[in-house]
Amino acid sequence: MRREVIVMLVLLTTKAAADGFVVDKVYHPIVLPNEQRVEWRFMSRQNDERNVLAQRIGYGHSLSETLTLEAYVVGERDQEDNFGLQAYELESRWMITEQGRYWADWGMVFELEKQHKQDSWEVTSGLVMEKEFGRSSLTLNWFMIYEWGKDIHDEVENEFRLQYRYRWMPQVQPSIEIYTGEDFVGIGPALMGIQRFDGQKQLKWELGFISEVGGVTKDHTLRFALEYEF
Amino acid sequence: MARVLTNCGYLALGLFCLSAMGAVPEYELVLKDHLFYPSKLEIPANMKVRLIVHNQDDTPEEFDSFDLNREKVIFPQRKATVYIGPLQPGVYHFFGEYNPNSARGQVIVKEPGDAD
Repeated sequence: MRREVIVMLVLLTTKAAADGFVVDKVYHPIVLPNEQRVEWRFMSRQNDERNVLAQRIGYGHSLSETLTLEAYVVGERDQEDNFGLQAYELESRWMITEQGRYWADWGMVFELEKQHKQDSWEVTSGLVMEKEFGRSSLTLNWFMIYEWGKDIHDEVENEFRLQYRYRWMPQVQPSIEIYTGEDFVGIGPALMGIQRFDGQKQLKWELGFISEVGGVTKDHTLRFALEYEF
Repeated sequence: MARVLTNCGYLALGLFCLSAMGAVPEYELVLKDHLFYPSKLEIPANMKVRLIVHNQDDTPEEFDSFDLNREKVIFPQRKATVYIGPLQPGVYHFFGEYNPNSARGQVIVKEPGDAD
């Protein structure tokens, strides 16, 4: 526990800086055993200059009752409008506390990413918190990101994500999301939902439209995610 | 913005440290032949409770409830703890995700002293 507290202190007090896609996904702390999933995420960021498109496809498997591991391949559209393989990523989520046991539920996210054909690495550790207020849930993510390699300037970045969700019905759960990081502050509406099938099979979907509010130029991100658990 | 985030972080850390729990009332559910016993469970309103679910079947089951916002896998011949509440008075449905047609039940939340 002492080590986790130290990690949290480092995570929460690191100065912000950054670059890349800030709008992505708000992580939730719960992990279930015996679960496999395939995931597709789509993000389209439009500003005054250009459109940046990123997609990632992943496969994940629960390793225990509290730990899950997921591998991704990431594709992005480059400056010449060619869409291609951009990066590989390993992601692990750890459920620290039992759901509902304490004042809030806590978890952590760890990621390791390497850019394709480049000596460019990124390691991320994130703290995840979720608090219930009746039929609403507030979810917070804090991320500390360290980038290094010959093809990238070594730096530490800090990102924050917030989702306030109303659990209206399983298929339709509206929310407000906030993302900050690398001089970006964005806010916008989002929807998520779950459709259950037999056994552990279920399809989760997320849709959000986040607008940058800190600048004078246009900067919108449309994000969409599909996750099939089985 | 960095300062705001840092302050939020300290607040979160404080809440994390303060979230040690005291004793909570305990209730028991048994899952046998893919049925929950009792199928209707009364608990007090505005109070967190600990639900011990005994899976007496030879297959795993997942306690699932959108109303309660809980998901918990219970392995065969094992028991699991599900923390629920504090809840407002009302009826909250739950089911076994692997056997949703048979394994179904309700948590009935009542104000203390509120009898039928």
